[in-house]
Amino acid sequence: MPPSRLDVKQGTLALMILRTLDVLGPCHGYGIARRIEETSGHRLSLNYGTLYPALLKLEQEGAIRAAWRASENNRRAKFYTLTAAGRKQLARETQSWQETAALMAAFLAPPPEPT
Amino acid sequence: MRQLRAFLLRVIGSFRAAPDYREEMEAHLAFATQDNIRRGMSPDAARREALMQSGGFTRGAEGVHERHGLPWLQETLRDARLALRALRHNPAYTFVAVMTLALGVGANTAIFSVVRGVVLRPLPYREPERLVSLESTIGERGSSVSVPDFLDWRAQSTSMRGISASYTGTQQTVLTGSGEPERLTQVRVSANTLEVLGIAPLLGRGFADGEDDPGAPRVALLREDFWLRRFGGDSSIVGRTLVFDGFPTTIIGIAPRALGWPAEADVWMTTRFTPRDAAPVARGARWLTVIGRLADNATLAQSRDEFSAIATRLQQLDPTHNGDVGTRVTPLLESITGDLETPLYVLLGAVGFVLLIACANVASLSLGRVAARDGELAVRTALGASRGRIARQVLTENLVLATMGGVAGIGVAVLALKALLAVAPADLPRVSDVRLDGSVIAFTLALTVVSGIVFGVFPAVRAAATGVHDRLRSAGRSGRGSRESGKSRRVLVVAEVALAVVLVTGAGLLLRSFALLRAVDPGFRTDGVTTFTVLLPSTRYEGDARVESFTADLLARLHRLPGVSSAAMSFALPLSGDSFGFTFTISGREAANGADEPRAQARVASDEYFAAMGIPLLRGRLFDERDQRGGHQVLVISSELARRYFPDEDPIGRLLQTGWGNGIPGQSFGGEVIGVVGDVHQSAIEQDATPHMYMRAAQWPLDEFDVVVRSSAPYSAVVSGARGVLRALDPDIPLGAARPLGDLVDGALGHRRFYMLLLGAFAGVALALAIVGIYGVMAYGVRLRRQELGVRLALGASRGGVVRLVLGDGLQLVAIGIVAGTLAAFALTRLLASLLYEIKPTDPATFSVSVLALVAAATIACVLPARGASRLDPVETIRAD
Repeated sequence: MPPSRLDVKQGTLALMILRTLDVLGPCHGYGIARRIEETSGHRLSLNYGTLYPALLKLEQEGAIRAAWRASENNRRAKFYTLTAAGRKQLARETQSWQETAALMAAFLAPPPEPT
Repeated sequence: MRQLRAFLLRVIGSFRAAPDYREEMEAHLAFATQDNIRRGMSPDAARREALMQSGGFTRGAEGVHERHGLPWLQETLRDARLALRALRHNPAYTFVAVMTLALGVGANTAIFSVVRGVVLRPLPYREPERLVSLESTIGERGSSVSVPDFLDWRAQSTSMRGISASYTGTQQTVLTGSGEPERLTQVRVSANTLEVLGIAPLLGRGFADGEDDPGAPRVALLREDFWLRRFGGDSSIVGRTLVFDGFPTTIIGIAPRALGWPAEADVWMTTRFTPRDAAPVARGARWLTVIGRLADNATLAQSRDEFSAIATRLQQLDPTHNGDVGTRVTPLLESITGDLETPLYVLLGAVGFVLLIACANVASLSLGRVAARDGELAVRTALGASRGRIARQVLTENLVLATMGGVAGIGVAVLALKALLAVAPADLPRVSDVRLDGSVIAFTLALTVVSGIVFGVFPAVRAAATGVHDRLRSAGRSGRGSRESGKSRRVLVVAEVALAVVLVTGAGLLLRSFALLRAVDPGFRTDGVTTFTVLLPSTRYEGDARVESFTADLLARLHRLPGVSSAAMSFALPLSGDSFGFTFTISGREAANGADEPRAQARVASDEYFAAMGIPLLRGRLFDERDQRGGHQVLVISSELARRYFPDEDPIGRLLQTGWGNGIPGQSFGGEVIGVVGDVHQSAIEQDATPHMYMRAAQWPLDEFDVVVRSSAPYSAVVSGARGVLRALDPDIPLGAARPLGDLVDGALGHRRFYMLLLGAFAGVALALAIVGIYGVMAYGVRLRRQELGVRLALGASRGGVVRLVLGDGLQLVAIGIVAGTLAAFALTRLLASLLYEIKPTDPATFSVSVLALVAAATIACVLPARGASRLDPVETIRAD
């Protein structure tokens, strides 16, 4: 039984892509998708209609740059690289997510036992 | 920032094909397949699994496409492309619609650029809103300012940072000693003028304090355009000495082209008031134009209070000259353009009407087109196109049409503006500022979009209104849909006719006023009369004797030219804008003060002046050799002066005396009345003649004057003859401002002619568009009714009866339009009141004529379709459906 599938939450995919590129360095679309799926324990699955528009959006916003070059097994592939602006965006959004997550965690924690 | 960058990229992306991600997605698939094989799947299964994960190439490509551009923009562009294709398929429709719009938009753009250049554009000076015009007022009337008044204002005012005076208008000056002698225009201003205006010279320096004193060395600024023309922009001219009117003058700088106060001129010099100019007796001689710049802490209202207090003090100081003299403080721009705002805004409104009519025509055409496309639209509706989608497509098509019309309209505007400036009166202020600039283009764009919506909404709503059922049933036949669009088009015809009535009536009123003005007898005859001006350099023509002998010589030689019946000099010509008003006393009567004091305009004329101008002698005699310089001074007065100040007496033999002379001690203008001549409209054709006195030129020699020559020879022969005479007498004196006397009259009516021509042109275009509109609707109506008409004919209706039926139908629409238009005209022609002469804005004759014109035009437009209807073949029309 595979783990239950989740939909990618609106606005989180961009952050995942940026983080992936930050960790892996320059990477092609398949590499990014695979890394995100693996990190999520295969609960996330990215199809082309989700992944490539998201990559295009980040490119338009100047957070990543794309260039064609040969891959490790000599196939031509488009590699995405984080730009300086992308790095800044990643730092900013990471912090904001951590704060939100901490807040939500505190909020949703089980109420303390009455003393 | 990030979002903006992405947005702009997507806007650009909307116009381009989306990038192809297929290769990238294929690489993706290959990587995934390889990984699956590595995990132990068979190649086939590995690829299948990878494909399943991918969600499909198509979805990927779609997502990329949507992200690459902006979906709404992409859709609009697709509609626009569709519209362009549809318009290309129907070139006749497209051409007529685009041309109609181009006419409307182009005319509006041209007029707006005039309004913008003349009225709206700020003056080209520093903080122009703090500049004011300072005038004297006599009673209600504005007046120039006298030198003593100006000096007192300047000394007493604290609400102004600076006050500057100039001679009113331009003067002539002759440049000699540097190649050809050339006649130039000059203005004379106070030394602080550039400072008050807040404008710096391009080169050199401005006037320094004290350079307007009579004893100061003579200095001048050249204006940029003259400097470029005459000296080719040579900067070494600054510091050099040129000779103007015989006076060596140092050029201290070059003034920028923007400097246009008090008028556009070639050379700027200083006022150099003499002690005589500033003497107490000169308080009544008002000939200066004055402006001021408000002090930093002062408001317009404060300055008005202060100046009326100063005026009161001057009234007490000198009740003889200033008894009823007040002041008026007006923002400078308003004082320049005040009289023009109403007519220009009326023209802008009128040309707006033309655009509305053009829009109505295009809307009507477009409605007809929607009706003709019923079949196509029905199929599209049936295939699932929503009403919104169809309305949107029709609207897009019309906006595309409007854009094409707007672009063509800019071309029309360029031509129209050229034509317009060619007929513009020469004294239209700031006319050199009129051009198609950014804000005019922005206006055109806005106009284009608005007109596209105005004429596009109607058909769009109509296209969406009918359901698919109706449509399919009526498609291709004369069904309900077509009938309805026929109804909308009839409403448009009524509106068009109404608008045309307003324009034709307005134009008719101006035309009639103009005709009435042309019929006014100005008091002199212009046929065969040539005028020019002469300016004697005062250095070489010092002393009255030299001036007198030169003048006598000149007139005698002119008289001997072939064809010349009389040659005379005068200062100044009627309708030239120059006038010199004086108060005077009458011998044997108590001197009166203030408003009761007799006033008249004074002119200097030589003996043959009255003959040359065709001004009749009514009583007494004209000047002759008995009236010598230094002898007994004599006057000829105008009929109006006699009527006003000698109602029951004979003025002949009475002595009239002004307090103002030409500097010779003990001499002042005036003398014994020896004759009475006919009245002349001196200041404006539309103003009644005012009291005038003429002094004999030989008794009051002038070094600057107009010459009038009456001759049977053609104008060009007279001018070249006169030029020869002048050259023989003194080669350094050029012949100035030569023109037929009739041009003065035309010039005086220049503004009215301009407004009349423009409004007339708009009315003509409006009428033509209305005819086309009515014709289109009627012809279309006949086509819709051809079955019915066929049946009527088959049942024995006479052809005449059918003509009457169709004609009656059309004229009924026209009648409604005429009634509405006449009512609107009643309300709107009031705006023209200030431009009318001797007729009321509701002049019944003009209203009747314009209604008749509309009826005639509409009849022509209806007759052709009606005749077409009567020629229908009943058998064919019945069979056709």
